[in-house]
Amino acid sequence: MTEGKPLDFTRAITSRLGGETIIHCYQCGTCASTCPVARTTERYNPRQLIRLALLGQRAEVLKGDAIWLCASCYNCQERCPQKVEVADVIYALRNMAIREGNIPAIYIEFATGLVSEGRLAPISKFLEKKRTEYGLPPLKPANMEALKAILAATGFDKIMFKKEGASP
Amino acid sequence: MKTLEETKVGVFLSDCGGQIAKILDFEAITNFVKSVSGVVLVARGAEFWRGQGLQTIVDAVKTRKINRVVVAETVPKISEVAIAKAVEGAGLNPHLVEVVDLKDHCAWPHKDTPKEATEKAKAMLLAAIEKVKLQEPIEKAEFPAVKSVLVIGGGAAGMQAAEDLADMGFQVYLVEKEPFLGGLAAKAVRFFPTDDCAICIQSPASLASITQTSRKCVYRSGLSEIPNLNILTNTKVVKVEGGPGNFKVTVERKPRYVDEKKCVACGLCTSVCPVEVPDEYNAKLSKRKAIYIYKPLVYPPAYVIDAKACKFHKCAKCVEVCPTKAVNLDQKPEHVTLTVGSIIVATGFREYNPSVIKEYHYGEYPDVVTHLELARMLDAFGPTGGVPVKPSDGKPAKRIVFVQCVGSRDRRWNPYCSSICCMISLKHAAMIKEAFPDTDVTICYIDIRTTGREHEYYYERAREMGVKFVKGRPSEILHDPATNTLIVEVEDELLRRLLELEADLVVLATAMVPSEDAKELAQILGIELDQDGFFKEYNAKLRPTETKRRGIFICGGAVFPKDVPTASLHAHSAAVKAAKFLMNGKIIKDLRVAVVNQDYCGNCQFCPVICPYGAITLEPKGDGHFAANVSELLCEGCGVCVGTCPVGAIELHHLKPSQISAQVNALLSINGTSKPLVLAFSCSECGHAAVDSSGMAMMSYPANVRVLRVPCTGVIQIQHILEAFKAGAQGVMVVGCKPDGCHYEVGSQKARQKVEMAKRLLQAYGIEPERLEMFNLVFIEGDKFAEAAKAMTERVEKLGLLQLA
Amino acid sequence: MTSYALFLGCTIPARQPHYELAARKALTKLGIELVDLEGATCCAPPPIQSIDLETSLAIAAYNICLAEEAELNILALCTGCFESLTIANRLLKEKRELREKINKILSNAGRKFKGTKEVKHYLQVLIDDVGVNRLKQNVVKPLNNLNVAAFSGCHLLRPSELLRFDDPERPRIFDTLIEVLGAKSIPYKNKLRCCGGLLRGYADDIALAIARDKIVNAYNARADCISTLCPFCFLTLDLGQMLIKTTYKEEYNMPIVHYAELLSLSLGVEPKELALDFHKIKVDKILEKIG
Repeated sequence: MTEGKPLDFTRAITSRLGGETIIHCYQCGTCASTCPVARTTERYNPRQLIRLALLGQRAEVLKGDAIWLCASCYNCQERCPQKVEVADVIYALRNMAIREGNIPAIYIEFATGLVSEGRLAPISKFLEKKRTEYGLPPLKPANMEALKAILAATGFDKIMFKKEGASP
Repeated sequence: MKTLEETKVGVFLSDCGGQIAKILDFEAITNFVKSVSGVVLVARGAEFWRGQGLQTIVDAVKTRKINRVVVAETVPKISEVAIAKAVEGAGLNPHLVEVVDLKDHCAWPHKDTPKEATEKAKAMLLAAIEKVKLQEPIEKAEFPAVKSVLVIGGGAAGMQAAEDLADMGFQVYLVEKEPFLGGLAAKAVRFFPTDDCAICIQSPASLASITQTSRKCVYRSGLSEIPNLNILTNTKVVKVEGGPGNFKVTVERKPRYVDEKKCVACGLCTSVCPVEVPDEYNAKLSKRKAIYIYKPLVYPPAYVIDAKACKFHKCAKCVEVCPTKAVNLDQKPEHVTLTVGSIIVATGFREYNPSVIKEYHYGEYPDVVTHLELARMLDAFGPTGGVPVKPSDGKPAKRIVFVQCVGSRDRRWNPYCSSICCMISLKHAAMIKEAFPDTDVTICYIDIRTTGREHEYYYERAREMGVKFVKGRPSEILHDPATNTLIVEVEDELLRRLLELEADLVVLATAMVPSEDAKELAQILGIELDQDGFFKEYNAKLRPTETKRRGIFICGGAVFPKDVPTASLHAHSAAVKAAKFLMNGKIIKDLRVAVVNQDYCGNCQFCPVICPYGAITLEPKGDGHFAANVSELLCEGCGVCVGTCPVGAIELHHLKPSQISAQVNALLSINGTSKPLVLAFSCSECGHAAVDSSGMAMMSYPANVRVLRVPCTGVIQIQHILEAFKAGAQGVMVVGCKPDGCHYEVGSQKARQKVEMAKRLLQAYGIEPERLEMFNLVFIEGDKFAEAAKAMTERVEKLGLLQLA
Repeated sequence: MTSYALFLGCTIPARQPHYELAARKALTKLGIELVDLEGATCCAPPPIQSIDLETSLAIAAYNICLAEEAELNILALCTGCFESLTIANRLLKEKRELREKINKILSNAGRKFKGTKEVKHYLQVLIDDVGVNRLKQNVVKPLNNLNVAAFSGCHLLRPSELLRFDDPERPRIFDTLIEVLGAKSIPYKNKLRCCGGLLRGYADDIALAIARDKIVNAYNARADCISTLCPFCFLTLDLGQMLIKTTYKEEYNMPIVHYAELLSLSLGVEPKELALDFHKIKVDKILEKIG
């Protein structure tokens, strides 16, 4: 059932920033009950996701759809009786998934925006004109030199443009 | 007590039925021992701790040939007790005996190197001889033990402990802060697993005409008529002075304003009282008057006035109307001093207030209640006559949802499991279904814990009665104002469906936490609370109702939430312990304790702070200075104070600094191996036991490792370590209990600190700090001791010879 | 005159200049000086955190360094920025190892996080630096008991251990600040629940369903408008109603208004100065009600 050595996946998660607390989970279901996404669709259940992860189901978790359906509302983390940082664990899982080449298109867009202009979304000419019309000060550009240095130091671009299937 | 007599040491060498003589050269050992100064008698035999062998020792003592005894014998931890006892019977102070283990500490572990083992045996015997030569007699002391007991808390546990002790002839003071006995359990209506009514209590056997087997409600039990049992309600402990066997306890008696001896509980007073307040006993679901009594009757059967609500002389209608003139509005609080030999804490627990768990809206939505509040509703004598209702409008509740683990198993509030809430919910669910079968009852749980005897049947019965179970912890309770309905949001994990359960009443199985007075009481008594605020027992396995303060015992829910059967067990245990402590009317203690040299004591206050037993206080010396003073009764003889004193002003009667030095030098005076000498200070508890077991299991380690037994590694000072190096040790080991398992609480941790400090000092001296190491081992880790001994030897060999100037 | 470094983030300048406009006007009227930070980048909110948490922390820290260098505390408008920067500020101030790790990364950009400055949301600035009393005094056009469904969004309040802005289960600050303007902050079902905004672009159908719930609940409670603090919430609920019309064939005509706009209006700023044409759902009803 588990892939690799037992606890490999769990250890990979707990050793990542954000994933440290996943092991405290005792499957009480509070996170699922309070999750706005889980209440709307059966495609997502945070308790189930954590269970899959703790049972070592690496492929299902990292290649699947569920980890991308968290809306980061933090209700789960707020109310978890074991102080599992559920939302942060999901970030950690997303970080791992991306390193293995599983990244939804929208995130590629965000990353591209960040890497090219230091912003999530580019500012259109239309908007720039409107700003002047409203008397708003012109936007200062992001310090791309500093940002690029930071991204290089964390290996961000290497994370982003990893080939599919390669392991971290 | 210095004697003027010359010390004459008799050495008795057992070869364990000839077995260890196959490895150790007993002739050489005997000759060696004969040559040691002070030794006047050497005998060899198969066995010396019983039979003819023991008689030999006894004869030698009786004929005054010897006044100090050294015995090489098997399993010293057992044999030394028998030998000491026999020696005492023969007229010699039993502390002038030293037993050496040549079997498990020498022959077995070093059986592959018999010559080296023999040399080590010589060193071991030399150390024992030198030690015992310096040992002076240690006397016994007697302390008074007043045969009376204070029981704090009149609930299930307290009443039972009090009753046991009163029956045994002790004078018992049962002190209860509420105006009535009964505690938490009395409000519970029924107890599981038998569904008995909550007022049930075992009747005293001492009253004639009540058989052993009858169970009686507390008010029918004759509790109040037991001789020697003094019940003081409306009373709290405010101060404790004195010591074990002779505590002086000051209690404060709140005025009842009604004379218990005159009140006939007719109720006329309550009918004329103009003041109405919410009834806290009934979870504020109903009102009561300022003068009131609990119903049904518990004890004492007398009314009481709520001083906060009463108008006193502005009204005084109750005074007028009382037929026996029992009401006295001028009563004042009273302080009473009780002299007791021991104290039992039975203050129980209470429900956690779940209003902090805001997502459940307790305190905001009136229809969200706790178990105690539900219990009051289910009580036929209670505010709703046994019907579960919605407090918001009084209508019967037809859909009831229980939420488990509220504030329990929750790292935000109380991380522990409160142990009884699953059973309570199952009990209440069944009670409701029994009386009102068409009520919809659902229990939302994370786990159902029914671990006790007959508990699983409660779970079965609940399912059979149609109680529904949802595995999932509700995330929120909502309220729909249009329909005045509660909505419980929960995931049914087994169905994998997110539910919104509609409910008229939501019952929170809230956590059980210590009594609100626990902290204050712990301070007054000088006993510890655990990390969750419950009273801490001395040892969970073997001494579950004792504390580290002699004479003070704890029992019942005050130690951890428990059901009534377990609380009873606990109470009886505490009663037995208290009785044992006091039964002789006096406490006799061997003075294997610490003593302070008042001239050296510099009043630094390290030792009073470090003593785990609170045995050291500061006393005025008369010249404006203070000096430390050790209570002989409280001292456990561990020596942690000795290890802490910066000027060596405190020492143990049973291990003086000169004795440590003598042993260090003796153990290191003979090598006989080609390896560097390593000295291992081992604590008498786990550390030494690990050495024992390594030998018993015949694990091998080299004979250059010499073991020096100390009461607790806490007694070790840095200078002892340095002394060892100076005396020829190339390496030093400190072997003690695990840091959280030190038998004397803090010794092992203190030793670790000193070892770290010593390492830094060694480094400053240009000595490799790796020559010193601390190991934390327990009895079953004998193999780890052998490994450690080998590893240290190898390490020190690699480091080369240590040259001290 | 209290000065703050204004942190605009990405979404407000790129999509919602009306928010920025209203905020600048209102805060200036109240005596808060807003200084633009030179070289500020994206704050690294959830979309970037999803790619790499360490990078996000470093980027957030970088922006805080800019404020530290300017010796100003940060004022954030977007609650997403507030969350990202506050969490970074808190974690790096409290966890030495993490701080050392991030500073190593920042050294490549010639910066070092010192932990000398605070990150505040502008609501906090209103409470701390303006004060409820002075704010009330400055309200020249009270909002005439407008029924406002207050929706602060998730990231103003949670995770509360790190943000420490208000009680996550019983928040009062936002409601108080609405009532000070003369409006009513009405109770409605699932007031604190997420709008689903961050799912847009990945699972639009789910995001829309969640947004619809919010609109319906506010509608059922007879709200005149929903007041937001987060540009994502605004987008999801405002533009979202156009999508609800096409997908669910339902029309609620629930105006979505940033608090900054309500604030500006109550402080006497004329509607025509506020770029209200950026709202997809027209706000005429509100303007009528408040007179």
